[in-house]
Amino acid sequence: MAILSNILGPRKGFDGGLFLPSHKSRTARRPIETLPVDGPLRVPLTVRRDLGTAVVVEVGQRVLAGERLSRSIGQEAVPVHAPTSGRIVGLDRAWTPQDGYLPCAALEPDGRDEAVPQRFGWEDESFIVQLAEKGVICPRPWQPLHVVIKQAVAAGVTDLIVNAMETEPYLTADLRTLIEEPGRIIDTTCELADALGVSRAVVAVPYRHRAVVKRMQAEAVGRHIEIAALPDAYPQCHPVLLVKSLLEREVAPGGSVMDEGAVVLPLGAVRGAARALLDDRAVTHALLTVAGDAVERAGIYRVAVGTPMRRLARRVGLVSPVSAAVCGGPLTGLALGNEEAVVTAEATALLLFSTAHRPVPSSCIRCGWCIEDCPVGLDPPALMQLESRSQCSTAERHYLDACIDCGLCSHVCPTQLPLAETIRRTRLRFGGRPSCNSDAEP
Amino acid sequence: MTDEGWSIPQQSLTRASPHRLGGSTHQDIVRAWLFAAGLVGLCGTVLYGPAALKTLLLGMVSEVVTEAGVALATRRQIGERLGRGALIGLLLGLTLPATVPGYVTVVGSVISILVGRVVFGGFLNPALTGRVIVQFLFAGHLSLSGALAVSPVLALGHQLVGDITRGGMVQDYQGWFDTRAPIGKAALLLERPVQALRRFAQDGVAADGDLHYTPLLRDVLPPWQDTLFGVVPGGIGETPTLMLIVAGLYLIYRGYLRWQLPAVVLASAAVAASILPVQLGGTYHWFPVLAVEQGHAVGLAYVLYHLTAGQLMLGAFLLAGDVTASPIRVHGQLVFAVGIGVLTIFMRLYGVLSGECYWSILIMNALVGTIDRWMKRPVLGMGDVGLKGI
Repeated sequence: MAILSNILGPRKGFDGGLFLPSHKSRTARRPIETLPVDGPLRVPLTVRRDLGTAVVVEVGQRVLAGERLSRSIGQEAVPVHAPTSGRIVGLDRAWTPQDGYLPCAALEPDGRDEAVPQRFGWEDESFIVQLAEKGVICPRPWQPLHVVIKQAVAAGVTDLIVNAMETEPYLTADLRTLIEEPGRIIDTTCELADALGVSRAVVAVPYRHRAVVKRMQAEAVGRHIEIAALPDAYPQCHPVLLVKSLLEREVAPGGSVMDEGAVVLPLGAVRGAARALLDDRAVTHALLTVAGDAVERAGIYRVAVGTPMRRLARRVGLVSPVSAAVCGGPLTGLALGNEEAVVTAEATALLLFSTAHRPVPSSCIRCGWCIEDCPVGLDPPALMQLESRSQCSTAERHYLDACIDCGLCSHVCPTQLPLAETIRRTRLRFGGRPSCNSDAEP
Repeated sequence: MTDEGWSIPQQSLTRASPHRLGGSTHQDIVRAWLFAAGLVGLCGTVLYGPAALKTLLLGMVSEVVTEAGVALATRRQIGERLGRGALIGLLLGLTLPATVPGYVTVVGSVISILVGRVVFGGFLNPALTGRVIVQFLFAGHLSLSGALAVSPVLALGHQLVGDITRGGMVQDYQGWFDTRAPIGKAALLLERPVQALRRFAQDGVAADGDLHYTPLLRDVLPPWQDTLFGVVPGGIGETPTLMLIVAGLYLIYRGYLRWQLPAVVLASAAVAASILPVQLGGTYHWFPVLAVEQGHAVGLAYVLYHLTAGQLMLGAFLLAGDVTASPIRVHGQLVFAVGIGVLTIFMRLYGVLSGECYWSILIMNALVGTIDRWMKRPVLGMGDVGLKGI
């Protein structure tokens, strides 16, 4: 039986979900590559529109790598730093996939990449201040990490889950991070667990990559950190389902995982924290999976924030014209609708496809695939009926709020009905929270 | 090193997430089922000759024409419906014997579209709806209540080309592979094995001294391997058991049929046939599976005949798993499958209507809505409130 369970792996911790074709083999074997800055950058001066920052550089000023470009206004905002040394040639605006146009600083690099000196005396400052100073952000919820930590401490969380599941197809940045720097991830998780005061810290790792699991377990020996190997059925990477699988707790519709005493940090946030805490470096680069069938050299790239996506595409090479460009995973990412889009700190992937999926919906054949695969147990066709209604009951609102926007229903629908899109739109119309994937509130 | 391809579509042309779709469209599902049913139809054509091919093609053509007519009348798109129409016609043809006149097939096809698809919306299996209605309309051709009638099967050496209607009785039947003496006819006239089993259960087979099961197995039923290859009289697609299993495995491999459904249909039918009593010499004998006569496990052979004699395999692999007319969740499908298996054996043993598997599938189809409601999943984080559904 032990052999059998070793082959089959652990049981799925939630009903529904689907093992998607992973498309990861092209990128998972290549080491992370740092792309040198080879052209002007347009660095957004804030990470989110509603987090106020004030610019602290002037046009014509020379900045070093890691030098501040803006300072935060208020407790919640984080400053932005220059990714490389160079001269500020203008203050303009840049288009970001998450937030549309944001003010930016146009930086003309001088190619020397001189950095501000590291300083290892930050222990006298507070941990939180260091994270805030270095601009560490948490991609999901889309918040600065220090704000998430403050909220978690205020909510009295008892469990920390580091989310390295990455169950969406194509994405491999977290997997490569685990392969290349497992020790740093474990160290930083210990630090974060101390800061949060949690009684249990878990790193969720996909069971499919057994070598990675073994390595992480070896690193975590004696460290009060649990390595949980989970089956990588999509959407196991969603915080609500991690809490369900690992802690056996169910988050109420529209609620946050903190209500259940847990905080889920994506590996991207831990990576940023490792850089801020261990290296005293600001978050100036994004780790992007660049993949898709239009890409010639797919891989994981460390790209300076503010690099135009267009130049990134040229660096990796295109084998065919791009018909669909996605920032993020193929199921939850944001469509790139602007040619001038720039890389932001919270970006996780750039997927370029030579074919766009333009579905031609027909009527429902009641196959029930969406119901069977829905990770939270909803009935998507029934929820779709609410679109034509002028109002809905409290119970129906709860159903809409229970949807976690994983997109599986649209993905599997054989009649190509826009189920997930309609449910998201209906929820917004009835005053529910916006999409989970670009969620402003945790 | 070119960015010439970098002219990404404008925002209005991009779709919201998810950006990649699964790729299995309903046309793919219909195509896979057409392929699986086509394999069985091919096997039936070999076994029952050109008459079978004519019935299958007539069913498909008339179904497609009716479907197109309905689509024109209701001003819907025609293209995507034709494949499904052809599938319904093919499945209907598989349930009919090769000897039915063409008008029976045509009427059945028209009814299955008008009643099964238009009136019931596909919630009752359309092919079976057409099948059971023509069974009443043309009782003479389809043996409504299974009077003691003989049905033909092509003789050895006449496959694919023989004329199914030119049948002859054989004395001293030794099984299809052992019919040594040429009978001078293209086909053999034999009793349907399903009908023989029913006759046996209702005390219709004369006992040979103390022996009850042996006369049935020795004198009445064809050899068991004949029922595997399908060279026994019956509907075109009802008898080729091995090919039905292959077709079912293909659908399971493609992911359009859950393996639990046919497995549980067959298992529950076997259990029901093992337990439900048969009337022998005026008294009911429970647990026929335990019968042993002259040192032979005749009860076990009796149960195996129930599984392979016809209809049940077709029902389990091709008809019960219709995507629209079966329950959504695995748990529901298990209940559905148990119902089909037990009802089929029950109606076969004690009922009068022939086509018992089709009736039980239709009865269970009518219960699918109830089963789905009963098997509803709770919504995450809503506890029991989430069970009520919308």
